[in-house]
Amino acid sequence: MSKFNMTRRQAVALSAASMFALGSRGVNAAGEAELSFWTVRLNTPELQAALLPLLDQFMAENPGIKIINEPVSGNQVYPKFIAAVQGQQMPDVAEAYSYHPLQFAALDQMEIMDDMIADWEKDGRLADVVNEFAYKKFFWKGHYWGVPYNADPRAIYYRKDLLEAKGIAPPTNWDEFQAAAIALHDPANGVAGVGFPAGDFHITQHFYMGFMFQAGGSILNEKGELVFGSEKREQNIRALTYLTDFATKHKVTPEGIAAWNTDDAHTAFVQGRLAMGMGTGRVIGQIMRENPDMFEKVGILETLQGPEAKLTAGFYNPMFVWKYSPNIDAAKTFIRWFTTPGRLAPIYAANPGQHWPIFKSEFDTQSIRENRLLGEMLTKVIPYMTDFAYPGTGIPEMGVIDGEKLFAAPVNEVVVGVKTPEQAVDDAHAKMQEIFTG
Amino acid sequence: MLQRKRARLAYFLVLPAMVLVVLLNLVPLIQGVIVSMQNQNLIRPNPEAFVGFKHYIRALTLDDEFWQSFARSVWFTVASVTGAYVLSLGLALLLNLDIRARGLFRAVFLIPWVIPDVVTALLWKWFYSDQWGFANFALLKLGVIQIPIQWLSDPSIAMISVIVVQIWKLYPIMTVVLLAALQGVPKELIEAAKIDGANAVQRFVNVTFNFLRPTSMIIVLLGCIWTFQSFDIIYLLTGGGPADATQTLPTMVYVKAFWSSQLGYASAIGVLILLTLLFLGSVNLGLERMFNRRSDGNG
Repeated sequence: MSKFNMTRRQAVALSAASMFALGSRGVNAAGEAELSFWTVRLNTPELQAALLPLLDQFMAENPGIKIINEPVSGNQVYPKFIAAVQGQQMPDVAEAYSYHPLQFAALDQMEIMDDMIADWEKDGRLADVVNEFAYKKFFWKGHYWGVPYNADPRAIYYRKDLLEAKGIAPPTNWDEFQAAAIALHDPANGVAGVGFPAGDFHITQHFYMGFMFQAGGSILNEKGELVFGSEKREQNIRALTYLTDFATKHKVTPEGIAAWNTDDAHTAFVQGRLAMGMGTGRVIGQIMRENPDMFEKVGILETLQGPEAKLTAGFYNPMFVWKYSPNIDAAKTFIRWFTTPGRLAPIYAANPGQHWPIFKSEFDTQSIRENRLLGEMLTKVIPYMTDFAYPGTGIPEMGVIDGEKLFAAPVNEVVVGVKTPEQAVDDAHAKMQEIFTG
Repeated sequence: MLQRKRARLAYFLVLPAMVLVVLLNLVPLIQGVIVSMQNQNLIRPNPEAFVGFKHYIRALTLDDEFWQSFARSVWFTVASVTGAYVLSLGLALLLNLDIRARGLFRAVFLIPWVIPDVVTALLWKWFYSDQWGFANFALLKLGVIQIPIQWLSDPSIAMISVIVVQIWKLYPIMTVVLLAALQGVPKELIEAAKIDGANAVQRFVNVTFNFLRPTSMIIVLLGCIWTFQSFDIIYLLTGGGPADATQTLPTMVYVKAFWSSQLGYASAIGVLILLTLLFLGSVNLGLERMFNRRSDGNG
């Protein structure tokens, strides 16, 4: 048996090197797996106040894992992730925008999440998801690259008092919605029939998308091929014409919607300047904070029945794991824990309307029962929500089409009068084609 | 020997600054040029594949959007810098007079410069709002207009609205610099011109402006560089719309890089912006030398 001799200096150096090696492989000096967790949509003070106790709870229940949360500002999401990919400093686990997992998978940076979806199937969670597209949108090239943790709907809010005053029932289809917008338009009293963002911003395309699905249109087909200006051209033009007619033909929108972003539409509705307004779930919280007297006068429309379908656009935001993380198992343990039904109730309550559950079993909670508008969103909108790639599953190119606002441009161009719906759809299709062939 | 030692010490002392300059300026610049010649499309494999001048050729010969954005950038820069220069020259001349509360006015006129761009954009977005903006409110109340002007949503007006904001942002620093230059104009020369019978315009053109010219050229050059690469105000006010009416090269770079994932193409446009600004700097330098030669000849 050989004798292993070591001086004190060598022992110190070896210990230091071991500590460094442990630390650099994602394990800290205490022997815990250290997970960097980047958050994009959980960063407001009230959401952080709800998130951090959850992380503490996880760490208490899983003593071998330490979570280090890093909020990433919305404006810095792409620059930061791209720099992280270039420098191979991606977070172990992250929650971010809906197309991130597929875009990063195309760069060979994402861990396959098939095992997590299989677990969800086994424990019944998959059947509990409100809409199968919530997880299928992360399916690409035979694998799942992320799992959903929240829903982010787009809805049409309406003023119950104004409709009742005119004897109009809440519209449920295209014809009724158009008739109501025209009837409710009352510029003399500072109220427009309907308002929606039509600026050159991402939110603009979210509402166009809903009408597109209702007209039977789409951007992709089931195989993930581009059909926006080809097979689905007529349906997409029909939807674009229907939506933009409110501004250009019927003139029942505020004049300036061609410069509106999300907050402009929200504020106009919350200030009582719109009889019907399109917005995200955040409108609910904004009404509660800024104009609580209006709460009882507001309702959420049932998803409109279009000529072909009753669908609306919305998002399911993902959590995903870096393929080269030294702590993949710990990262998946964290996601399993974080997405357990009921876990995120404090986050839903922190800013009502901003985050929504994806599991049906979470719909019947005390906070939802106490807030009528939350309940209306969950029953009238969220079950009909689908995503941009519908009827296909996700593809990385959709992230670029969405990112470049290629289907916001047609709405903006038609509303300001520089293109006809036909020209706008054809031009957008040509630009989308470049992404597929480029 | 002592001198060599001193030189070595001097080099040693400036070394940290040189390292910082190289790391923070030169390395990213070289990296940008390298990326502009790579595939670097984040939805395509093999991002580091060398593609030569492919992205440059695409921008210069195939992509209409590039030239349209370039033309808008030039228009945005020329109009903003001209407007800001004329305004700041007037203000500097005014503030150079012996008027009451001159110090207060100087401080007040600096306010737009110290406001962050994001806040500037939000303030002006409110100011321009068709529904509740102060601009339309005031013009309607005064009877100047009958219906609200669509400052940011009418493609024929949006760029002018954005230029006004850029002028507002730019004029304070120009005013400060021109005012400093004005205070260096020898009073006795102006007095002499007055005695020789020169009127106010002649005194300004032949005496005062001669002294302002070198400073003006520098401040105009800097204004052009800042404005040509200005991003925040346009992006936050209009997002490049309506119907691309305010899409300039910097907003195009941002969209191509971070929304479209085409880092290689965006870097190529970034390098083209850099070359444009270098050209502008060279023209400025050439003009300055020409004026200096003329002055020497006259002298």
